[in-house]
Amino acid sequence: MTASPVAVKHLPEVNDSAAQRSFLREIKEFVEGSRQPRLIFDLSSIPQINPESIDLLLECVDHAERSDGEVCVTGASRETEVLLELTQASSVLNIFPTVLEAANGSPSQAA
Amino acid sequence: MEMGALVVAAGGDLNGASPGSSLWAPAWPVLGQSVLERWIRMVQGLGVGLVSVVDRAEQPSKRIHTMVEWAREGVERILLIVLGSYAEIDLGDLVRFHYQGQHGVTRVFDQEGPLGISLLDRDSVLVDTERVASEPYRPSSRYDFLGYVIRLSSTVSYRRLVEDALQGRCAIRPSGIQARENVWIDPSAWLDAHVKIEAPGYIGPGAKVRAGVTIRGCSSIERDCEIDLGTTLDHTSILPNTYVAPGLYVRESVVDGTRLENLARSVALDLGAAGLLARISKPQPNGAKPLNLSAAVDLPLSDVDGHGEDP
Repeated sequence: MTASPVAVKHLPEVNDSAAQRSFLREIKEFVEGSRQPRLIFDLSSIPQINPESIDLLLECVDHAERSDGEVCVTGASRETEVLLELTQASSVLNIFPTVLEAANGSPSQAA
Repeated sequence: MEMGALVVAAGGDLNGASPGSSLWAPAWPVLGQSVLERWIRMVQGLGVGLVSVVDRAEQPSKRIHTMVEWAREGVERILLIVLGSYAEIDLGDLVRFHYQGQHGVTRVFDQEGPLGISLLDRDSVLVDTERVASEPYRPSSRYDFLGYVIRLSSTVSYRRLVEDALQGRCAIRPSGIQARENVWIDPSAWLDAHVKIEAPGYIGPGAKVRAGVTIRGCSSIERDCEIDLGTTLDHTSILPNTYVAPGLYVRESVVDGTRLENLARSVALDLGAAGLLARISKPQPNGAKPLNLSAAVDLPLSDVDGHGEDP
């Protein structure tokens, strides 16, 4: 078991259910083998997140919390920030401008 | 006839949104009534029976033609309002000021500049019609207005006007009845018993607000909207015929059908495909289906049967 491990991930394609299953399996394995894991999702390549991806993020939060971990998102566009707030996902996510700040856990939250 | 009023609607579109990323459109209602309608009422309150509204996008020659026609028909004074602001001008005082002035044209200014409101004598219209409409330096009297005015050029200024009205900072009073202090609910609106409203707030005609909804921060819901279970509106205006999905937190935004403009982040989104927002079609008079949501949401507006239940 590793102490406070960090993993930086990208979200899988929305319409690829096999990729999503594989992604969730990978996440589950990571968090179950860790103590207080920190999952960082780099959203910088996503112009506007969709509800399916938000659901996926929330599933990751669920898994992470079982290991006393946390989920961070970085590089969110203004559109994505609005959607995370609108769906109230931002209340369970830590939002940072960059991966580096998320990895350091610095408090300069973007939203 | 003593006076006619020509209102030129700003934005080039009396119904739709202005071009660009902002959703702002001059036709948006402010607590039950658009600014255009409010101007028309103000003019009618002056006793002016001849009122015409023209689209700013139309050729200027058309409105000049209208003014010349009126002047030729004997209209003594023409009130020209180029709609770009909401201003609580005492039009009666403006007319009195104009009578006392030395010029055939009186233009209204506030501290920021001209408000696009002019009062013109018949003779000045007939003498040089093109200059009347287009020459900014034509000799004129200046009427300085010091009362409430807001220039409406964006969604931000629209929200400011809504908040000013709800907080009593201007003379706009919401339509409907005051259900409790600073909460206005139209009698035809339907609210579940478990709706929380933090004053001030406004719920317009035909609106349906489901259980668990919270309305706060000077939020307004215009006519025929539906706010679904558990959603929170915070410093937000919902424009007519809009459906808002359950469980959302809508903050510092204006929502018009499937489109949302977030003022805090200066961004406009279309969330129809995401199923979070939808446009509710107006009921058809021939008994056709009353609701046609662009997203896959099954919520018949025809089921609305409660009336003005106090939350």
